[in-house]
Amino acid sequence: MPDKETSKLEPSQMKTDTEEPRIGVYTCYCGGNIGFVIDCERVADELGKLPNVVVTRTDMSMCSDVGQTMIEEDIREHGVNRVVIGACAPSLHEQTFRGTVSRAGLNPYFYHHVGIREQDSWVHSHDHEGATKKAIRLMSAGIAKARLLEPLEPIKLSAEKHALVIGGGVAGLRSAWDLSRRGLKVTLVEKSPFLGGHMAQLEKTFPSGEEAGGLLGPLIANVVSDPNITVHTYSEVTGVRGYVGDFHIQITQQSRGVDDTLGEAAMQACKTEVQDEFNYGLTNRKLVYKAYPGCYPSTPAVDWDHCPDGYLELEIDGRQIKLENQPKTFDINTGAVVVATGFQPYTPLKGEYGYLEHPEVLTLPQFIRLLTLIPEGKELQLNGHRVHNIGFVHCVGSRQIEGIHEAQEDGQVNNYCSRVCCTATLQAINELRQRYPDLNIVDIYEDIRTYGRGHEEYYAEASANQVLFMRFHGEEPAEVVRATDGDKSPLLIRVKDYLTWGEEIEVPVDMVVLAVGMMPTSIEDLIRLLKVSPGTDRFLLEVHPKLRPVETAVPGVVLAGTAQGPMNIKESIAAASAAASKVAVLLSRGKVELEPFVAHVDHELCTGSGECVEVCAYEDAISLKPVSMDGKEVEKALVTSANCVGCGVCVSACPNLAIDLQGWTLKQYDAMVDALVMDMSAIGVKHE
Amino acid sequence: MATEQPSEELKILILATLSGGYAGADSVGQLHADYATNTYILPVECPALFPKEFYLRTFKKGIDGIIIMYSGTDCPYKGGAERTAEIINETYPLMKERGMDTRRLRLVAICTVCTQPFLKEVTQMNNVLQEIGPVRQELSVSQD
Ligand SMILES: Cc1cc2nc3c(=O)[nH]c(=O)nc-3n(C[C@H](O)[C@H](O)[C@H](O)COP(=O)(O)OP(=O)(O)OC[C@H]3O[C@@H](n4cnc5c(N)ncnc54)[C@H](O)[C@@H]3O)c2cc1C
Repeated sequence: MPDKETSKLEPSQMKTDTEEPRIGVYTCYCGGNIGFVIDCERVADELGKLPNVVVTRTDMSMCSDVGQTMIEEDIREHGVNRVVIGACAPSLHEQTFRGTVSRAGLNPYFYHHVGIREQDSWVHSHDHEGATKKAIRLMSAGIAKARLLEPLEPIKLSAEKHALVIGGGVAGLRSAWDLSRRGLKVTLVEKSPFLGGHMAQLEKTFPSGEEAGGLLGPLIANVVSDPNITVHTYSEVTGVRGYVGDFHIQITQQSRGVDDTLGEAAMQACKTEVQDEFNYGLTNRKLVYKAYPGCYPSTPAVDWDHCPDGYLELEIDGRQIKLENQPKTFDINTGAVVVATGFQPYTPLKGEYGYLEHPEVLTLPQFIRLLTLIPEGKELQLNGHRVHNIGFVHCVGSRQIEGIHEAQEDGQVNNYCSRVCCTATLQAINELRQRYPDLNIVDIYEDIRTYGRGHEEYYAEASANQVLFMRFHGEEPAEVVRATDGDKSPLLIRVKDYLTWGEEIEVPVDMVVLAVGMMPTSIEDLIRLLKVSPGTDRFLLEVHPKLRPVETAVPGVVLAGTAQGPMNIKESIAAASAAASKVAVLLSRGKVELEPFVAHVDHELCTGSGECVEVCAYEDAISLKPVSMDGKEVEKALVTSANCVGCGVCVSACPNLAIDLQGWTLKQYDAMVDALVMDMSAIGVKHE
Repeated sequence: MATEQPSEELKILILATLSGGYAGADSVGQLHADYATNTYILPVECPALFPKEFYLRTFKKGIDGIIIMYSGTDCPYKGGAERTAEIINETYPLMKERGMDTRRLRLVAICTVCTQPFLKEVTQMNNVLQEIGPVRQELSVSQD
């Protein structure tokens, strides 16, 4: 293997930050993944001719102990002070090699990784010569960047060992509990007066059939009895300042209106009723209410949304009592934020499958509540009429197609799959079949997506129990219409059924249940305050769906549960635990280390024009501040590293080229381009 | 089947976001799908980093086509996608002024699993380059 050995240097001579680059170039065979296509020896040979390259080596597996030790030795013994590795995707081993480099005493950012497997050998396996030349070019670009690498230090900030969790559904509760068990203090903020979120509205849950309350109750009990966790219900985040490790959060809390001594009496005394959102409007509740039996807190709350003047007058035991909302605002200091604001079931538009036009049309969440309201053994009735025939329609508000489905207020359709509705529908159907063996059940679907372990069994059970399935195509949604007078059932579902090769079928039904999808809770204010980004589907976006699945682009802000996308309980809990782990790792040492890839301003070039401040979307990331230069006070742009996300928007906006992104400077990109277009033969590189 | 290569290499620079196009290119690799070797992918956090002059310089140096594979509306950085689109739109007239075919510069949203769109973009850019030839030709004509 070609080695361009150099005379040994004493470690004391290795002042890597100032001295001439001495680049070590390492080409990995990756077993045969790279080596069977790319001529690695030739790559090493050719790159060795480039200026500043002092060592070029190949290895079967550069990430192995042997490979890493070889690199470490070159740094220690041969004075290599920049490392370029051509191997698999940087996402897989960049961190590994940063560790290698720093173990040998070199700044870990004196290393550049070039992906020549996924982006070369694997995609050019039929063109060995082309792939080899491409590897030479790509790696010479890496070498060009390496010449300009600067030593960087991770940004170190002291951090509050405290996390804020926003949202008291199952995801938020689980995050809070996990965080506490990892030794952090936690504040949990829930917007509604009671904990539990949507899970509290479920009964039996797939895939285990366990009662939702039986799972949620103990979790709530753990959270509220935990001395490390402070819970604020009826509260919202109304202000955010600061950065990872040191966020200053303003919280505004509504009054409950009553305390334990007055609560029950106030509930009795209150005569005004409104639709009960817990039962999705199927029943009414008082203005002073408890969301559900056994809810936390057990103290009732006044529904201020329905008290427009901010107070409620009641006569209790012959006394006139005025209950007033006196919101209080307070600040907390926290190191990180978990966003667990959850979802809202899709509300069909008026007339969509007859919704709001025919009282016999309900959504699945409504139907689940309806089943709990009918005592065991009583017949299935809706509005006083017995139900003999019932139809379920899947994909309502999910997998919508532009031009076919009516857009919502924002002009968009929900083209994503909501993932939980298929199994949730089949679970409801199976329960229905058990309770009402004589009922005629029709299930009209586009696809059955019972994707999880134990989910398909729900479909198998329904199929085996006389549930009639029909299948429509997305472009030809079913229709729900009123039946003509004299028909036994009030509604007809019209469907072009592709299980019978497109036969047009009319199904008479007494009730229709729409399996509605999930939409994110609308949290525009929070999005603005936290500077997190929603995706095109309006759910919050992670940095990378596979590699950084719970982190947002804002350091210290992570996602848990259905705020990020449709998930079932298991997935929400997994995401919540992942979010808690991320935060715990971040904060548990009391200090935070951030990647140093942030904007840097050259004050010699900065004229304080302020374009950078204008284009930056992140508060306090870059601002104009007076700086003393040559005895004069002048305005210059200053970067607050902890608030800078490293997007580089300010770099292109600066008319004086005074800003650069550390680790990814424009000069480095220019050098890489130069290398890509360089006439290789001029420096002795072979061109067949 | 290997894709046919142009005789003189017409170079395509792909500036690909780590959260979008770069991961998308890795996914294409995992599929072992073939595409032309004249494609050089450089990772970038967010292409809003590059001022218009960068693109003009890059063409002048001899890169014949640039595809910016960004994350579009899924860009994790606030305002990053909009700013990138603005810069590209402002670059087109400058390219025209210099006699360059604007099809040489393309901004496309590529996600982490957008393997077919990735391959389509590479093929399309190669077709365009076959038709219009090397950038140096255009630049030398415009200087004459
Ligand atoms: C009809 C239906 C049936 C289902 N059945 C099952 C099943 O059988 N099995 C299963 O595994 N999954 C099921 N699911 C999915 C399950 O409901 C969800 O996975 C789970 O409830 C998600 O929890 P979450 O904490 O992410 O969100 P949520 O339950 O929505 O909780 C979010 C919480 O955040 C609060 N909040 C919102 N905005 C703010 C704010 N700005 N500030 C503070 N707090 C805020 C909300 O008030 C709420 O309490 C079903 C879903 C539906 C729609």
